[in-house]
Amino acid sequence: MLILEASHLQKNYRSQGKTVAAVRDVSLNIAEKEVLAFLGPNGAGKTTSIKMIAGLILPDAGQVRIVGRDPHRDACARRSIGAVLEGNRNVYWRLTPEENLTYFGVLRGLSQRTAHQRAKTLLERFELTEKRRSLVQTLSRGMQQKLAIAVALIHDPQLLLLDEPTLGLDVEATQSVKRLVREIAAEGRAILLTTHQLDIAEELSDRVAIINGGEVVVEEPTTELIRQFSNAAYTIELEHALDSVRLDKISRLDVVIKHEKIYVNQLKLVYEILEIVRPLPFVQVVKDQASLEEIFLKLVQENRMKC
Amino acid sequence: MSLFLAELKRSWIQLSRYASEVIGGVVGTTIIFYGLFLSTRYIAGPGFQFGDRLDGIIVGYVLWALMLFILGDIAGGLQQEARTGTLEQLFLSSYSAPVVFLMRAFASLLLNLIINLSILALIMVLTGSQLSFPPTLFPPLLTVLLGAYGISFAMGSLALILKQVQQLLNVFQFALLFLFTLPVETWTGSLRVIGWILPMAPGAGLMRDVMARGLDLNWQTWLIALLNGICYFSLGIFLFRWSEKTAKRQGKLSGY
Ligand SMILES: Nc1ncnc2c1ncn2[C@@H]1O[C@H](COP(=O)(O)OP(=O)(O)OP(=O)(O)O)[C@@H](O)[C@H]1O
Ligand SMILES: [Mg+2]
Repeated sequence: MLILEASHLQKNYRSQGKTVAAVRDVSLNIAEKEVLAFLGPNGAGKTTSIKMIAGLILPDAGQVRIVGRDPHRDACARRSIGAVLEGNRNVYWRLTPEENLTYFGVLRGLSQRTAHQRAKTLLERFELTEKRRSLVQTLSRGMQQKLAIAVALIHDPQLLLLDEPTLGLDVEATQSVKRLVREIAAEGRAILLTTHQLDIAEELSDRVAIINGGEVVVEEPTTELIRQFSNAAYTIELEHALDSVRLDKISRLDVVIKHEKIYVNQLKLVYEILEIVRPLPFVQVVKDQASLEEIFLKLVQENRMKC
Repeated sequence: MSLFLAELKRSWIQLSRYASEVIGGVVGTTIIFYGLFLSTRYIAGPGFQFGDRLDGIIVGYVLWALMLFILGDIAGGLQQEARTGTLEQLFLSSYSAPVVFLMRAFASLLLNLIINLSILALIMVLTGSQLSFPPTLFPPLLTVLLGAYGISFAMGSLALILKQVQQLLNVFQFALLFLFTLPVETWTGSLRVIGWILPMAPGAGLMRDVMARGLDLNWQTWLIALLNGICYFSLGIFLFRWSEKTAKRQGKLSGY
């Protein structure tokens, strides 16, 4: 089931007499249990798009539907949204995690009792139970971020918007945020997340949308995108360097040899080479994978040249 | 209703956790008044008798302090939350923004009234003033509160759109002090009509009548005061809705 349908969103800002086209054409769909990574360079329009989806910025054109409802018209639609916004505190620093969760629960339409119960469950799940009575301002950055995500989930929304959820977190905290995102999606929620850490996007997302200059330039399943951009290239790694006879034989093929490694660009050559090296021990035969980072740079730069 | 209770709890916690700030506010407000009081007496000479005048001024001053607390809650709160980043979370609520902020304001009203009474008590002790507290003070207080909320929402709207309104708020506070100490209830002729139109002025005048001069409540004037309060309140809410829309259009809900 589609949770989020955003079509042809567009937003221009006017500031100091100039018009900035922040978002030109963004369409995104996310189904339940799906994580969409929304990538793009600084100023590409990610935050603006997310806030249009959340109902916090009115689009100039285009439509947002969350479980079929428009958050700009229908206050009920906002019940289906949870959001952790970029660079914000999102929670009250002068309150404790428990107080924050209960307060926001009621604000998002729960009864006091349900809010309190949900708060307890979430505190446990986010490993914040120990700190539930400490002021938020005394918590570590990672805990604050976990709390912000917990608060965004307090009313059990179907769509979770995370704008740079791992910004400024250390390795361990990033790891636990990643784990939580995966769990939250598995529960049947749709997640839209932006990040500049492409390895995170690669690990977490089912699909990737890359935005550049306010336009979505690609939108594909993550594995599909990586496959497309991976060259049909293989590396054969041997345990020891080749003896001169074999080296001679293999050199005649269309390959590159560097010490124990042989680089091949056709699958059938891989078998030929394996025939030749038999029975020498080898370490591995791997297909080269493009990383999301390379793909990203390629796409964004291509786009820049077009302009 | 549960939103109201949640807001009550929130403001109570924040208040009690930062009790020193509150006590500072109470003492500060009182000291400023006492300073004014002493210097006036010094200038006027020792034989000077304030009489009703002093009581009237105290009523105006305490109402002004109440107004400042409400203003701080709504306009100041908005500004602060825009800066820290909690504001957008409030706008994600399925309650509409004016409802959330009204609930907030009502919740802290109770606490504000208590704080205000302590300021009033302190001032009365210090100056030896003898105000009376007849139940008829409540209807005009209601009209003043309506006006105060309206004005606060109007300033909140400015805060939402302009963001940097601290300077403006500071200047505005003095305008308000002036407004609350104007003896509009004694004005006649065309000035009188102006007294009816000024925000919160007719209600404040009635409060001085019943508390400082020991008069009965003039219900006719009260109706005018009520109308005045309702007008300013509606105006404030209207402006607030408008500025919410504008901020959403300009992408300025957070402190961009
Ligand atoms: N309220 C605003 N008024 C005017 N211009 C704005 C406003 N908000 C954003 N912009 C501009 O719109 C463009 C898109 O900004 P946006 O914040 O959406 O980018 P982003 O993709 O989130 O970038 P980042 O990776 O840096 O967070 C930028 O050029 C920015 O300067
Ligand atoms: Mg951004």
